[in-house]
Amino acid sequence: MSNSEASEPIDLTTSSCPNREQRANGVNVFYGKATEMVATARAGKLKHQERAFQQTSGCILNFYLTVRVSTIRDAVMIVHAPVGCSSSALGYRELFKGIPKGLGGLPDEFEFHWLTTNLNERDVVYGAADKLKAAIHEAQNRYNPKAIFIMASCTSGVIGEDIDGVVADTQPEVSATIVPVHCEGTKSRLVQTGYDVFWHAVLKYLVKPARKKQPDLVNIASMLSYTWQDRMEITRLLGKVGLRVSFIPEFATIEQFEQLSEAAVTAPMCPSYTDYLSRGLEQEHNVPFFLYPSPIGIAHTDEWLRTIAKYTGKEKEVEALIAEEHVEWVPKLESIQKEFKELAPEGDKLDVLGSLGQGRLLTQTPFFNELGVKATAAIVQDFDNLVLDEMDKMIAETGDFDVLVNTFQAAEVAHIAKNRAPDIVLSCPFQGSAYKRDKGMTRIHALRGDPREWSTQAGYKGAVAAGNFLLQSTKNKSFQQTMKANTEETYTEWWFKKAKPVYLKEEAA
Amino acid sequence: MSEAKVVELYPDIAEAPRYSCALAGAYVTALAVNHTAPILHSGAGCGIGQQFGMNYAGGMNAAGRHGNTSTPCSCLVEEHVVFGGEEKLRDLIASTLKVVKADLFAVISGCVPSLIGDDVAAVVKEFKDQTNIIHVHTAGFLGNSYLGYDHFFAAVVDQLLTPLPKKKKLVNIFGLVPSQHIQWKGHLRVIKALLAKIGVEANILFTELDGLGALKQIPAAELNLVFSPWVGITVVEKLKEKFETPYEVIPFVPVGPQDTTSFLRQIGQLLHIPQKTVETVVKTEEWDAYNTAEYFGDLLVIGLPNAYFGVIADSGTAIGLTRYGTNEIGLLPELVIVSDNPPEESRENITRLLTEGLASSIKPKVIFETDSHKIKLILQKHTLQLLLASSLEKHLPRGDAGFLSVSFPSFDRLVLDRSYAGYRGGLAFMEDAGSQFCGPL
Repeated sequence: MSNSEASEPIDLTTSSCPNREQRANGVNVFYGKATEMVATARAGKLKHQERAFQQTSGCILNFYLTVRVSTIRDAVMIVHAPVGCSSSALGYRELFKGIPKGLGGLPDEFEFHWLTTNLNERDVVYGAADKLKAAIHEAQNRYNPKAIFIMASCTSGVIGEDIDGVVADTQPEVSATIVPVHCEGTKSRLVQTGYDVFWHAVLKYLVKPARKKQPDLVNIASMLSYTWQDRMEITRLLGKVGLRVSFIPEFATIEQFEQLSEAAVTAPMCPSYTDYLSRGLEQEHNVPFFLYPSPIGIAHTDEWLRTIAKYTGKEKEVEALIAEEHVEWVPKLESIQKEFKELAPEGDKLDVLGSLGQGRLLTQTPFFNELGVKATAAIVQDFDNLVLDEMDKMIAETGDFDVLVNTFQAAEVAHIAKNRAPDIVLSCPFQGSAYKRDKGMTRIHALRGDPREWSTQAGYKGAVAAGNFLLQSTKNKSFQQTMKANTEETYTEWWFKKAKPVYLKEEAA
Repeated sequence: MSEAKVVELYPDIAEAPRYSCALAGAYVTALAVNHTAPILHSGAGCGIGQQFGMNYAGGMNAAGRHGNTSTPCSCLVEEHVVFGGEEKLRDLIASTLKVVKADLFAVISGCVPSLIGDDVAAVVKEFKDQTNIIHVHTAGFLGNSYLGYDHFFAAVVDQLLTPLPKKKKLVNIFGLVPSQHIQWKGHLRVIKALLAKIGVEANILFTELDGLGALKQIPAAELNLVFSPWVGITVVEKLKEKFETPYEVIPFVPVGPQDTTSFLRQIGQLLHIPQKTVETVVKTEEWDAYNTAEYFGDLLVIGLPNAYFGVIADSGTAIGLTRYGTNEIGLLPELVIVSDNPPEESRENITRLLTEGLASSIKPKVIFETDSHKIKLILQKHTLQLLLASSLEKHLPRGDAGFLSVSFPSFDRLVLDRSYAGYRGGLAFMEDAGSQFCGPL
């Protein structure tokens, strides 16, 4: 269990939670050594610094609550906002439809639904409480859902919409449970606050007191950056020892949310994502949790399984499982390790630069270590004091490294990628021009609806699959080289020559 | 009051309407002008959200050098709501000029600065003597992404353009909204190439090497062409007022030889191109297109002879494809759902364009609807053999119907250069639609 000094008790009597800045002293700007960052955070001295140069990076509604919440199966999401705030959810009908029928228990029939209140000029002048009420009735009448999530927005916040008031007025008139999510984009600089406000709403409105404990049930909050195969691998492993998994929120049913209180343990995929939910379930429903490690890489999958075993009384079974799995997977990992070793300069390792969430920092960095590559620097979306002990544990495993904390600041990523020139840059669509380079480049991860075995990242199978795609990146660099040679750079020479990859307000002044 | 009546008061409450907001439209329009860097004065999610909501939705496109997370943004939070965001914007513009390479900077203001009353224009003005910079005054709550296109050009016309002598046979192309018209890049290239064949130079504004130069050249055009029954008309009205440039509304991008020939003849007349020049091009191009179409014959006759087809698309795309499918390849137009929410006053004309001048004995039912749930219900009432729609319809039950995504959003196909415009566009359409029915005969 995490024993971070963070975290006041969760107060579900309030309409929403404090933001990460308040709750955990979170920041999204820092450049320095990992040990220094942890020490500063522990001393309570980690503080926000205003950037002079900043890029669009996601708000708490649109990183990516809209997409996540729209995939809850027997619910409707109402985005109380201008129409653009939900456009990122336009792929909702397709997200999970690329998965072959039946694969990993994919049901034959499922539908998702969301509505926008489409706030317009008149609404921002006169208010849109009646419109929201009409939308709730429309959702109830059209879809007869079990729950209706209402997502707040910058606009609903600035014009002072009383969403909780509308909910209180309307709840008696509809059978679905109405769940207001206070994700006004202006509420926080840290997109991770979006996780917390969502879990706050889930804990407050949906989770029911346990009717009976389900000692074989494990709660796992799965991120968009883990794939269908990851769910299958985790289900497979825990299934072998007689445990069942409840993956929330993506592709979950409302019944799963209601029964979160009945599980034996809440286990992490991404600690930063799961934190608020885990603490809330423990505080309100005595469901124990742990935040480290996640099942990424073979060693951490072992440890993750063992930790779950402690809460489920499956110690013996899990040891047998680990032994059995190692027979199949460890030799495969070893051949990947051997290949990475041969690729590296004598006595050294290939240097990998990953851009990661706080959660992935804790999961991926030790995995690089396991593969036999090194991460002398990491780009991290955010950092807060929720995971300090976990950071200590990790640094003890991997050694110290440089950290650039930013949430998808593409110019900063381009700067550090160019100036550090690591052997491999792990990229994603949020990295701008950083992929154009002479050395290696590949994706950091695939996404939720990807059903290919190639895209597995979790568990034993995922360790080998992810090791392999990293290896593939060493074998051909023509795409990034071609694009570097033939397209223009976004940023100026001045930027790349700047000593630090951040441009703060205080420097600009 | 019954619940049904309550809802009628708010017709804009909708499931997954097929566009984003005005800020999004202005943003993708700015991105389409080469070497233009948008600067968003907005919440932090307003840009990145459009990566999924516009760029991927518009045919799985990456955002280019200045889009997505490469876009500078003031990332407004509560303290700005309370104290104003002007200082933050000022710092952002100043730093952007140092960090980002671009010929034109377009400050696009969103909902928050509009609601809190930031004087964005004044801040932008402070930088006018340092660089080319405009302020696109928009906000998400002002309307949808089609409107945002007009907002971008309103800023260009008012803040960037100065009178130029008219240049003979130069035309500007308006009305195609990046991403919303998923084949915008290909369409523009085809239109430019077609017009070049009859000696007309088309300034397509987007994807031109010198984007700023293309914008600045707008007043030199002899004529403005709008390829939409409704989008962009405020822009050409403004240009008529300010630079006395006449305009012509070509309500749809022509697909295939028949409509392309009509289009070229129309332009020939408008710009006094010798008839012989036009007819020479027509003859060569038609021969080539129809000669190639012969190779489609077997698959068409076996795979989709006189198929009942439905179209769900923005008005221009719907008209172009309905006419081509009906008038050139023998399909039967059963249903057209116009999904771009055109203004009321343009709907009669759109309906006329969709139902008149068709070779079939049946006319399509025309419905204006952008709510994805209601569209689903409408589809359940029709039996189709080919559905040309958005990828929102891809996984709906549709009986035997073949499916091709042709409109926004289309997450299921990569659209870079693809276009159904022009003579060869009909062939491209045959390939894409016909491929849905391929297999050993």
